[in-house]
Amino acid sequence: MTAQDSRALAACLRGVSFCYLQAGEPALRSVDLAVPRGSMTVICGANGAGKSTLARLLDRSIPSFYPGELSGEVWLLGERCREQTMASFAGRIGFVAQDFEAQLFSTSVVAELAFGLEQLGVPPAEMNRRISTALAAVGLEGFEERDPASLSGGEKQRLAIAALLALEPELLVLDEPTTDLDPQGKEEVLEVLWSLRARGQTLVVVEHEPRALEMADQVVLLRAGEVAACGAPGEVLRQVELLENNAVRPPDLVRLAAAVGWETAPTSVQEAYERLGAPRLSQGRAGSQDAASTGAANCLLAAREITYRYPEAPAPALHEVSFRVSPAERVAILGQNGSGKTTLARILTGLLQPAQGSVELEGRPLAAWSLTERAARVGYVFQNPDEQIFTARVADEVAFGPRQLGLAEGEVRERVQEALALVGLGERANADPFWLGKNERQRLAVASVLAMHPKVVILDEPTTGLDQHEQRDLLQLIERLRVRGMAVVMITHNPWLVIEGAERCVLLAGGTVIFDGSLPELVQAPELWRRARFRVPAAVELAARCGLWVRSVEELARAVAGRAGRCA
Amino acid sequence: MRLSLYLVRDTPVHALHPVAKVWALLALLVAAFVTSSAGRGLLLWLIVAGLLAWGRAGANVYRLRWLFVLVFAMTWLVWSLFLRTEGAWVEIGPLHPSWQSVQMGLGMAMRITSFFALGLLFLSTTRIEEFACALRRCGVPPKVAFVFTLAFRLVPLFVEAALTVLDAQRCRGLDLSQGPWHQRARRYAMVIVPIFIGALRRADGMAIALEARGFQRAGTRTSYLRFRWTHRDSVASVCATLLAVAWLAL
Repeated sequence: MTAQDSRALAACLRGVSFCYLQAGEPALRSVDLAVPRGSMTVICGANGAGKSTLARLLDRSIPSFYPGELSGEVWLLGERCREQTMASFAGRIGFVAQDFEAQLFSTSVVAELAFGLEQLGVPPAEMNRRISTALAAVGLEGFEERDPASLSGGEKQRLAIAALLALEPELLVLDEPTTDLDPQGKEEVLEVLWSLRARGQTLVVVEHEPRALEMADQVVLLRAGEVAACGAPGEVLRQVELLENNAVRPPDLVRLAAAVGWETAPTSVQEAYERLGAPRLSQGRAGSQDAASTGAANCLLAAREITYRYPEAPAPALHEVSFRVSPAERVAILGQNGSGKTTLARILTGLLQPAQGSVELEGRPLAAWSLTERAARVGYVFQNPDEQIFTARVADEVAFGPRQLGLAEGEVRERVQEALALVGLGERANADPFWLGKNERQRLAVASVLAMHPKVVILDEPTTGLDQHEQRDLLQLIERLRVRGMAVVMITHNPWLVIEGAERCVLLAGGTVIFDGSLPELVQAPELWRRARFRVPAAVELAARCGLWVRSVEELARAVAGRAGRCA
Repeated sequence: MRLSLYLVRDTPVHALHPVAKVWALLALLVAAFVTSSAGRGLLLWLIVAGLLAWGRAGANVYRLRWLFVLVFAMTWLVWSLFLRTEGAWVEIGPLHPSWQSVQMGLGMAMRITSFFALGLLFLSTTRIEEFACALRRCGVPPKVAFVFTLAFRLVPLFVEAALTVLDAQRCRGLDLSQGPWHQRARRYAMVIVPIFIGALRRADGMAIALEARGFQRAGTRTSYLRFRWTHRDSVASVCATLLAVAWLAL
């Protein structure tokens, strides 16, 4: 590499392979990558493809924190990296990890930003300027004295970015910065990245949000540790099949363009609508079954006008909220972070007692059921599976709940096998949960609840950290539960999980229900879903404008093709 | 739920120089340590209560009122019953209640609750970053000062994680309030594993974040927080010192 090359590139990898200590397979194999200064590179791929490993190489946490066998050439900021540790690049390379909360440890926003500046010996007068600039860049002006713990998910993520921006790094590496955020929070973070890119900040972002892929200068698709595709978004995103095979969801309008044979993808829903000639399309067979499925014949679990206020909170988290779910019903609870979704779920499971209102399970007050009786009927899968897993063997983890119910060991074994088979972990019964991937741990958490044979399963953000294929598996699992007569309540920000996995949805905003109805009704009410900071997928929005209800891009493409056929 | 104890208030106690606060805290702790009689304990109580009111930390006292009551009552009871003194009213096995043990128990309860209240006053009026700054000003190396204050930063986070784990296990039918003590102890072990693993993962993330922000870097460090020592700080330090000396002398 010449001196000129090294100056022009923020990072350059040549034939880099890396194998974690004691891992059988290398996480990266012969990777070549060039990140020009002032550009934005987005790395995508299935879980386990090597995305985070690549990010760790760029921030030097490999080899500083993750030992292993590294070969090939790594150039960072014009330096050939051999012995340099992460500390050698402190302040010059910034890194925002997936778990951004672990990066926040101060008691005020301003102290969080000042921490790194103090370590680097920046003079106090200069600190003020840098802190103001960094807060302005992420839109957190006026938050200086706020406790980071009191911020929303999107605000915390932006604070984690600002804490590094204040150091004025030459290269900023972000590993899945929008995970866990509601659609509005994602939008806020992506806006920040967009403005940083416009200012010439070099960015490397591990991300699978279609919008992030579109805004990049360069998209790198990893497959089993190798670069499967690398190029401008226009080049990579048009390879729809390749992306889908690698668990990356291409933007809806790109998929639609590929499906209907347009040469270029429309850049907005409006443009797509105009290209279609502003049609009114007839309802296809696939969509016709959805609108009527919101009836509630037998109410299984119902909350009536419940109000709940956390101690010391200025306003109630929930105010006169009513909710019901029937057997075999799939309901999505939507709303921005802090809107009361999780509070509602905790009340439905009896973890919290409402100050006013009542909750009934099978027609009997919830409080009248004992703890184990409730657990046997209402299953709650927490957002983070690691909060409930504690045994050293998958089968023991699943058996824990049935044993609490006092079942005979033979029945416990049967339930364990059945639950593991249902979530696709039948072969992993003897594995140690600690070594399972996030997706498998998530499924294990679901299995440990299913083994209790609940009548209602509440899933709290079940797609967090899952790639496209894993999300598809989850949808199939939800369908299997429905077929078995279980009611499924999903708390989620994932628009496609709602569209494909639910029949009814409840929108919460500011602790009150602003909508309770079918999905086609929701899609037709943009003012409501925008108020709840939800985003309907572009394909569904486009279909709605054409007077059509669809659950997938393929359904929309078929309707469009059908119209073209009729016109011919 | 708010787990941090710091209260954002504009009071003279909040405004004190952190070094003055640390010095005054140490002096008052010494005074509390040498308190054994109920009379002196009551006087110290009144002084600490006055400081809590001055620092407008009443909200935290109210928040932890049951802990205060529990610590006070248990200490008094245990000392009154088990302390061996002259003139016991009755002697039943290890129990030796007497007028003297009741008085000493009261003094001990006041001493321990004073420790507790002083710590609460300090944490209600001092940010963790100010505490770290005070330690650095007192000559403690920056890394040591940070690690020392890390416990205060992490305890609220771990408490929050523990509450979530408890809820997750209760949802699977784990009832920690039922059964004999040894069964309950075993059940608590099931809760500790996820908390411990979560703590390890968080520690890992924090270590990388610290490294990325130059924590291991050699060279001089600066401080964002700027404090000026005023006559008010001198007065506070002298008063606290005199109180400690008086308590030691009496």
